[in-house]
Amino acid sequence: MSTVHFAGISKWFGSVHALHPIDLEIPQGEFLTLLGPSGSGKTTLLNICAGYLAPSAGRVVVGGRDITALPPRHRNMGMVFQNYALFPHMTVAENVAYGLTVRNLARDEVARRVADVLRMTQLEGYGERAIRELSGGQQQRVALARAMVIQPDILLMDEPLGALDRQLRKEVQFEIRSLHKARPRTTIYVTHDQEEALVMSDRIAVMRAGRIVQLGSGADIYEQPADTFVARFLGESNLLEGTVRSLADGQATLDVAEFPRPLEGRAANGLRAGAKASALLRPESVRAQAGGLQARVCERVYLGELIAVRLVLDSGHELWSRRHAVEWSGRDMVEIGWDASAVSILPDASVQS
Amino acid sequence: MTGRIALNAFVALAAAFLVLPILAIVPAAFSAQSFIRLPPDAWSVRWWSTFFADASWRVTLLVSLEVAALTTLISVVAGTAAALGLARSGARARALSTALFLGPVVTPAIVLAVALYSMARATGLVGTTTALVIAHTTLALPFVVLNVGVSLDGVDRRLLLAAAGLGAGDWRIFRTITLPLIAPGVVGGAVFAFVTSFDEVVLSIFLAGPTVKTLPVRIWEEIRLAYTPVVAVGATVMLLLALGAASASRLLNRK
Repeated sequence: MSTVHFAGISKWFGSVHALHPIDLEIPQGEFLTLLGPSGSGKTTLLNICAGYLAPSAGRVVVGGRDITALPPRHRNMGMVFQNYALFPHMTVAENVAYGLTVRNLARDEVARRVADVLRMTQLEGYGERAIRELSGGQQQRVALARAMVIQPDILLMDEPLGALDRQLRKEVQFEIRSLHKARPRTTIYVTHDQEEALVMSDRIAVMRAGRIVQLGSGADIYEQPADTFVARFLGESNLLEGTVRSLADGQATLDVAEFPRPLEGRAANGLRAGAKASALLRPESVRAQAGGLQARVCERVYLGELIAVRLVLDSGHELWSRRHAVEWSGRDMVEIGWDASAVSILPDASVQS
Repeated sequence: MTGRIALNAFVALAAAFLVLPILAIVPAAFSAQSFIRLPPDAWSVRWWSTFFADASWRVTLLVSLEVAALTTLISVVAGTAAALGLARSGARARALSTALFLGPVVTPAIVLAVALYSMARATGLVGTTTALVIAHTTLALPFVVLNVGVSLDGVDRRLLLAAAGLGAGDWRIFRTITLPLIAPGVVGGAVFAFVTSFDEVVLSIFLAGPTVKTLPVRIWEEIRLAYTPVVAVGATVMLLLALGAASASRLLNRK
């Protein structure tokens, strides 16, 4: 079984602490995404898993076996690199067959498995093409096919869709997801793109400055972000800074200077009464409400089925709303409101770490 | 427009200045007379017959080819290995080693010749193929190291990681990924090594013996005795072999 356990993994590059001790367990068959900005340590963790980097401390345990010192070639992991790292002097079929030839499989077995995986990745008929004749999307598929054909215990992907245009990226996201659903294989996926993370992952580990800030399903993280960093990184957010007035039963009240009234909401962990914090209000929860707060519509951004509206309150605070277009049509002066359950009170990320 | 014409004319003149003296040797080799005069008054291939009939010329050509081939082989193997090692070492070690490898190229040939001659005397190697091969290798090796090094710089390190991740060991990675990708550098280095050895004259004069001497040395000795067209034949043979080596590398690297 291919569970992955990072036990106290840390990494120093000279005097730079790239990874603070990380503990993370990934069950067999899970699709886990390491999500974070560049420099957050996500690729470093992936390379440690693949064996391309040695951790400064800690152990990598796969299926109960400590593989920290095992060279990459004995790990049986499939890696998809950011710019694919396809062998430029080989054809598509030779690239895909590489891992099988290395394993000294019989010639017809190699041919059969290469044909299978090319069909699965919709590359049938491309076997004899040279790599440079392929489009970016096709190269991406070859990289995926080459990693999957060896039937790896673990599939590792480092921003594999970064070089594709938006439309193609969406298609491939769904392809990767359905390939994973059809044959679940423990997968670690690195990206800085929240949408990719949400579409494909079973769980997401949000990383920042060498630490995992939050670990959970996409819904968990979107609805209950651990702090303002996570809230900003995953989804759009209105954040209002203030001071915690009171804390009780998982609810908090936040005083926001000049704001018409205190904000109440679900309290995240790590809040202290009297400390600075922020209220999170997702744009989709800000709606027109008769008898609500007075606001002026200052900007309308057409997004297709939705419209984003910049609202300025009398107090000068700005809120973005993202709702169906009809809701904000016509008027410039509106009354707005939101459900109390839509508010979260979060510690400021800078204070926390 | 005039500037362009002037530039083209200048380039043509410069090219003529560089190439014509070399090409002039070719008609001289087809002279019927027993002295070199340009253009020859009468044409013949008698000096070619002389060249190939005379064992002393034939043997020197074979010695030259043998020394050049051995030099190329040793330089390519050792130079490629050195370039691989340099690519893996730290910046400081790399700079130092590169300077060392380039030493023989920037050292005046006569200094190198005297040094190698004294070493060869001490070891009793003067006048042997071994001495010539060692001497030529000191000159040819740097070209291989440089050429292969440049090619290696162009190889994406992640290709090697990818191959390792797919299960390949070091030797297999070298054979299936690195070597094919640096092949142009290796072939280029080999041609440089071959031509360097084939054309070398200063070290060879010092290290050659009565029986083992290379073609350039034989030409040098001949020219001091008699300035006959057979010298031009020898030079033309060298020219053809150098051109052949260069074309071979172009062909090999085309694909």
